[in-house]
This record gives sequence, structure tokens and C-alpha cells, in this order.
Amino acid sequence: MKGVLATEKRGIRELGAEEKVGWDEVPQGVILESFEEVLKENVAHIRPEERPYSDFNSYTATVASWRVIKPVYNRDICIDCQNCWVWCPDTSIISRDKQMLGIDYDHCKGCGVCVEVCPTNPKSLLMFAEAEEIEDALAKWPEKKKKSK
Amino acid sequence: MAEKFQLNEVEVWDGNYAASQALRQAQVDVVAAYPITPSTPIVENYGSYVADGYVDGEFVMAESEHGAMSACVGAAAAGGRVATATSSQGFALMVEVLYQASGMRLPIILTVVNRALAAPLNVRGDHSDMYLGRDSGWIQLDAFNAQEAYDLTLCAFKIGEDMRVRLPVMVHQDGFLTSHTAQNVYPLDDDTAYKFVGKYQPYEEMLDFSKPVTYGAQTEEDWHFEHKAKQHKALVDSRAVIDEVFEEFKKLTGREYNRVEKYLMDDAEVAIVALGTTVETSIVAAKKLREEGIKAGVVAPRCFRPFPFDDIRDALENTKAVAVLDRSAPMGAMGALFNEVSAALYTTPNRPLVTNYIYGLGGRDFAVNDAINIFKEAKANADAGYITTPIQQFSGVRGPKLGFFETKRGK
Amino acid sequence: MVEIRWHSRAGQGAVTGAKGLGDVVSTTGKQVQAFALYGSAKRGAAMRAYNRIDDEPIINHEKFMRPDYVLVIDPALAYTDNITENDKESTKYIITTHLSKDELIAGIPELQDKKDRVFVVDAIQISLDTIGRSIPNTPILGAFVKVSGMFELDYFLNAMQRVLSKFPQKIIDANMEAIKRAYNEVK
Ligand code: SF4
Ligand code: SF4
Repeated sequence: MKGVLATEKRGIRELGAEEKVGWDEVPQGVILESFEEVLKENVAHIRPEERPYSDFNSYTATVASWRVIKPVYNRDICIDCQNCWVWCPDTSIISRDKQMLGIDYDHCKGCGVCVEVCPTNPKSLLMFAEAEEIEDALAKWPEKKKKSK
Repeated sequence: MAEKFQLNEVEVWDGNYAASQALRQAQVDVVAAYPITPSTPIVENYGSYVADGYVDGEFVMAESEHGAMSACVGAAAAGGRVATATSSQGFALMVEVLYQASGMRLPIILTVVNRALAAPLNVRGDHSDMYLGRDSGWIQLDAFNAQEAYDLTLCAFKIGEDMRVRLPVMVHQDGFLTSHTAQNVYPLDDDTAYKFVGKYQPYEEMLDFSKPVTYGAQTEEDWHFEHKAKQHKALVDSRAVIDEVFEEFKKLTGREYNRVEKYLMDDAEVAIVALGTTVETSIVAAKKLREEGIKAGVVAPRCFRPFPFDDIRDALENTKAVAVLDRSAPMGAMGALFNEVSAALYTTPNRPLVTNYIYGLGGRDFAVNDAINIFKEAKANADAGYITTPIQQFSGVRGPKLGFFETKRGK
Repeated sequence: MVEIRWHSRAGQGAVTGAKGLGDVVSTTGKQVQAFALYGSAKRGAAMRAYNRIDDEPIINHEKFMRPDYVLVIDPALAYTDNITENDKESTKYIITTHLSKDELIAGIPELQDKKDRVFVVDAIQISLDTIGRSIPNTPILGAFVKVSGMFELDYFLNAMQRVLSKFPQKIIDANMEAIKRAYNEVK
């Protein structure tokens, strides 16, 4: 599922790095076009990674550098409850057919809300330092916590 | 009794903090507000002064700026000293009630941190909101830095509440450039500041049950004109009171304010007229140009309303060329400041050449070099004896040069 | 006029640092200006803060600046932000990094011919060791005091103590320690 989570397609520029044009070239009405072409089918039927997003859509911009800590996802524990998907304020949890796929690290701001709402024990999402490798993070995953009386 | 706040002889304050300290020292009875960037810290700080016991008054969180100003009107009519703060869209939402406040002659103080108006959405500073208020019947004072935001806020109470005036007063400062820029500020101690502002004197207050009154009654064509005429006269005549208050403030602090500020104008051949922080940046440019032999000066209306028609004329009539800078989109006309300055100069025998620059919209930087270029164009006009550029130009906008209207030259 | 540009991320305390420096400078009878320019004003986004210091009241309000000192308090920004923008022949750089000066410069071509004017200090580590959190703004001021020679260290510590007076003594002490360490460790 190339392009669903990763930077190959999007994340090509830092937010705000778009070319700056003059008063004679800015679009009338302070409009930002989402797509580079007119869509031929209902947008809801095109998967995000296949939509022709324009440079003005945040889909093609990354704000990864704003993050100081990041959530790491552990597939082995996840029960696909979709809580994190519902609560993430930046639509950065990627889920397909009710199955959780992972985190969109181009847009995740590292707020930790997803970790907070994850109901599993141990949690299937945990915050780690931005520089931490995913494999190392997964290797450090805590054990199931016993219920204290 | 409110607690005293310990202040140092010199503080490093930004414009927002300075304004909020002045409100605290004036011991406002009611601050009703709906905070908005970049003026949020003024009410935020004020709220903490109330919470910490530094103020005896009430802090009312309203549901919108319209509601905030409405609550201010109510509190002022009830007989209290009242103040609030706003910016931009919040100011726009207040506009309807601004006219109510001035029509009812309620001396409310509004600290306006100037910000652009959407669309496009933008939190940075320009003078769109200040211009939006210019026909609202308020006195409008303009601060160019944090010290002035403090000083003028104290003066505003004394001016607006004077029985000869009884009008609401706005104190403007530039969003971010003043409001979020910390500089040396020399505050007065609490007692001295309060003594200067004076105890609030109510006038026909609604809460005087021995003498109930109605405020802002319906008039239709029978009475409307007379009330508006009286209000305009009060606004124009407030000039004398403004001068008195500035004089008294100078005696107290040594800091001098005038309805029109003049810098390097004694022998100036070319002048920039501007508002806000641009005034000071232009002075830096004028000083540099004087080293090159160009006699440059700067003139600034400290008092945007009432417009100092006479003093502007006196300040500029002996120049050869004047560049008037408007930091608000003129939208189909010449800039408002340009129009007013031109009108004043039209009544002089000398009639300097006046040009208009639209600049700095949405917080676009106005650098010393921009001011230098404008001075140099004015100098070229002065030397040529006619306007060599379009009369209105956009300075600092990306894209091809943008200018409008050519001068008409006789044969 | 001395002009300083801070490169930071929102939340790292550059504005507080610039204002703190302003507070200290004001006690010497000098005039100061401190302001900031945010990109998106969100925690973690790159931003810049500025100081101007002069004997006369500062009336220049342009955002444009040719800095005498560039303080970089986020290690990554030394690479990603244009830290040499509008610099002068004499601009001095104080950069927080765990690398040695040579290692750092090896990765930033723009600094290659400015070696003598580049100073490094691990302000992040110092703040972690002393204050217990990654807030490199106070230690970078210690490095600035050393590099600029603008104040005696003791004078600066005293004044800074007053600026921080509303905080608990423990935090003040930690900040003092951070300033001292950066003063001694900047290279
Ligand atoms: S950390 Fe916040 S932004 Fe990132 S995925 Fe979780 S909820 Fe979304
Ligand atoms: S909240 Fe936790 S368990 Fe539920 S889908 Fe997200 S990661 Fe999986």
C-alpha cells in the first residue's frame, strides 16, 4: 500500500515553502485549489494517496519537524477499535476498512492524544523521543500491567 | 482596597503589558472583554490583576466582542470607569456598539492593538481596524511604541472623562511591532498614576435612583441631527482638553506629546506623514538622509480623531513634497490619511506636492530602506516641481510596480 | 547598536531568553528591544527572536536585521534554517550542539570561512543537567556573556537572579548553574 502512510508522495515540502508570487499572480478570492486537476469521479471514491493533491493542500506538505516526541504503533496488541482514529486532532491515524494501519508522520504533531485514548493493556500506541528508531521502541514495549486492587 | 504593584524605575515591557498596567493603575471598575490576538494579553493580564487583588473592579468575559462592548456601554451608563481591548475582526464586530458608546457620550477606553482585516486571514498588524473606527465618534490616539501605549492609555482616561469632553477614547498600538515588542518603559508608581488620572466622576449615571435617566433614546429626524452635530463639536473641541492633558503629563513625567508630532521638521523640504511604528522607523531614515544633505522630516498625527487639520497644515505647509503613508488597503480610493492631509494642505498658499504610499499591509515589514526610497522619490518631486510618479503607489508588494493616477500638469 | 538574532523552535524559550536579556540590559542603563517572528506559532515550529541594544532609545521597528550575534538554540536548526542570512563580516555565531566545532562546521558549508567567529556550547545538555529540562535559553545567555564580553559574569548572574525572582529558589539556582557552565564551556 505504497503512499498510504509514507513520505514518497507527500511531504515533499515544509509547510510554507511554496513559491511566493506577486499580486498579479495570486489566485482571486484567496482561493487555494486542493487538486491539480478537475476530478472525474466522486472524491470519496478515490483513496487519498491516489488523489491529485496540489501543492497548496496540506497533504503535500510536511510538518514533521514541529514534533519533539512521536507516537509509535504496535500492531501486535492493537484491537482495531478505532479510538485513536476518532480522536486524533490532525487526522494522522491512518485506518483502512476499519483496520488500523499506522501513523502519518508527515502530519502528526506528537500531541499524544491517540496514546491517551488507546484502551489496550499495554497500550498499542506509546510516545517515544523523535529520534528513537521504531524497532528499538517496539523492543522496549512494556508488559501487560496487572490490575492493582 | 486594591494592593499596590511594585514597579521598577525602568521596566522592559511590550505594548500589551504596558497598556494593561495603565488600565490597572487607573483602577477601572469594569473590564468586559472577548480576547483576540494580538490584544489578548491586555485582558489576560488584567484578569490576573483582578484575581491577585491588584484591582477592585469586575472582569466580565463576554460571549463576543459585540457583547463585550455592549457590557461596557451598560457599565459606563451605570456610572463606572470602563475599559476593554480588541483587534481586527473583534473590532469589526464591535463597530455597531462603538457608535452607541460615542452617541451616548460614554467615556469608555478601548485599547486597540491594530491588526489586518480578513480575508485573507491574518493576525499581523496593519491599520485597517483603526481606519474602520475613524467615523465612529471616538477620540483616537496613536502610540508608536510601548512607552507611549502606557502613557497615552493613562492620558486617555483623563481626556475622555473630562466634563468638557465625555467621549470614548481609543488608544492604538501596532500589532506585534509594539504589542509584542519589549522595550524600556518608565512607568509611574501606582499612586502618582492614579492621582494623574483622577477619581472617576460619574455624569447622569443610570444607577442614581434619585434621578433616573434613559440613554440613547430614539430621535428620528426631529432630534438626530442636533445630537450628531453636538457630538461632532465636542470631538473637534476636545483638542483643547487633549492639549491640556498632554501638558499636565509633561509636567509630571517630562515626556512630551502633541496632537501632531514633528521630527526634524524645522527646515524640512520633504516629509513623510505616517502612523504607528512607521513614524519612528521613518525618523531613522530621515536622519540618514540628512547626512547626505537631503532635508527630510517626519510628521505624525498623534491624534487621528479628532483629525488635527490645523496642526497638520502648520507642520507641512513650508515643505516642497510630502509622502503620506497609509497602512490600510484603500479599496478604490486614495488612502484616508492622504486624503485628509491633502485637504489640509490644499488650504495653504504653498500647496506642497502630496503623494500616497500604501505599504505594510498584513504586517509586511517596513524597513528603513523603504522609508529612504520614499523620501528620495519625494525629493525628486520637490526638485522637479511636479509629481514624477503615479500619485498613489504600493510600496513593498510583490509583483510588477503598482501605481494609480497621474498628476495633471499645466502647459 | 548591537543586534542579536535567535534561531529557535517555538517552546524552547527564545522569546523568554530575549526578554530576559532585555531585562538585564535595561539595568545597565542601556536601551533594549526584544521581539519575535513566528512562522506558524505552534510549538516545535522554527521561529526567530531578536534583540537590539543601544545607548539611545531604539526607534527602529523594521524586522529586517543584520545581526552582530546569531544564537542558535536548537541543534537541528543550524542545518535547516538559514542562520547566516543577512550576516556581516563580523557576525559571531553561538550554536548549541553536542558536536565539536570542527564536526559542526563540516556539516554546514556556509560556516566554512567563518570558523573564527563560530562558538559552540551544548546548551541542551547543560539545561538537562542543571534545570532538568531541555530549555537552552538561559545557558546560551551564559555563552553570550562570555563571547560578547558585554557584562562581567557576576554582574550578569546578579541581574538574572532579579529577573527570575518570581521563581522558586531551586529553579533560580539551577539557572545560575546553567549560565556559569555555559560561560565556562563555550568554545
Ligand atoms: S500524537 Fe496526536 S497528532 Fe500524532 S497521531 Fe497521535 S493524536 Fe494524532
Ligand atoms: S486506540 Fe489503540 S487499540 Fe484502538 S485502534 Fe488505536 S491503536 Fe488500536
